[in-house]
Amino acid sequence: MADEEFELDEEEELSLLETLDHVLDRGLVIAGEVTIAVADVDLVYLGLNLLLGSVETVDRVLGERERRVELLSRRAKPSGG
Amino acid sequence: MSLYVYCLGDDLSGAAFEGLAGVGGARVRVLSLGVLSAVVSEAEEGATNVDAENLRAHNRVNAAALAHTTPLPCRFGTRAAPERLGEYVTSNETALASALARVRGCVEMSVKLLEKSEVGSRKSEVEGDAVGTAPSAAGAGTAFLLKKRRELLGEEGARRRAEEAAAWLASGVGELARETAARLSPSEAIFVRAAHLVERARVEEYRDRLRTLAAARPDLRLLTSGPWPPYSFSDIKQ
Repeated sequence: MADEEFELDEEEELSLLETLDHVLDRGLVIAGEVTIAVADVDLVYLGLNLLLGSVETVDRVLGERERRVELLSRRAKPSGG
Repeated sequence: MSLYVYCLGDDLSGAAFEGLAGVGGARVRVLSLGVLSAVVSEAEEGATNVDAENLRAHNRVNAAALAHTTPLPCRFGTRAAPERLGEYVTSNETALASALARVRGCVEMSVKLLEKSEVGSRKSEVEGDAVGTAPSAAGAGTAFLLKKRRELLGEEGARRRAEEAAAWLASGVGELARETAARLSPSEAIFVRAAHLVERARVEEYRDRLRTLAAARPDLRLLTSGPWPPYSFSDIKQ
């Protein structure tokens, strides 16, 4: 159960980072009307071209996911001998 | 009064946003602006906070629009007085209509490329054996120049790898993307960010293609997401 909850948290984190990456420095700009304040500085690096900040998170989550897939595929294989 | 603006479109219906909470929990509605309309809510005082709740709200509203039609999504934090928004739409009507025609029937799909064991490979590249090491007898000036040379070669190699990976991805996706917008960041862990404009009817085919591509390059990690409103294909020249 704890593992499942952890997995959900990770997916949630990735989803938020992807959202951040899409909505913060892309999209239609109505000249001079984008007004934002960065309250949670953990999420972004600030410049006017705001970029995805938590690359390490992406790398870690993908690594975890790959390890889980590998583990599951090993379990699925019948043991030899 | 100021409005928070989520997206513009020519086929937006208020029913799609009923009961949906916008940025700051505000009620979302469709504002008719002649041929086009805008999805808006009342903006709070001051700037829009970049926090998880507001980011999700912005995306939730645009995702609701995308479920029915392909809008032109606005950048997070876009706000305008109603009369200013009306002026903007009127004075850019032709460009906005072209932008809508460009994305009609499509969604944006996103792919990010990361190198596996990225840290090790970048480090070895910069410190690479192939470019030689300073002779022990060399002076400080020689050592400095050699170090600079190694750094330049490392940057050049990273740039070439990013270009190669972006070209490989573009070629692999091929005709499934109506348009591609790619950004290369050779010195970063995510060294290619690509957005593809894909027709709705071909999204599953596109996903299958990416699975095949991912399997062919065990040296790369592909972080894929979508469908998104076409954030990378919506801006207009003013």
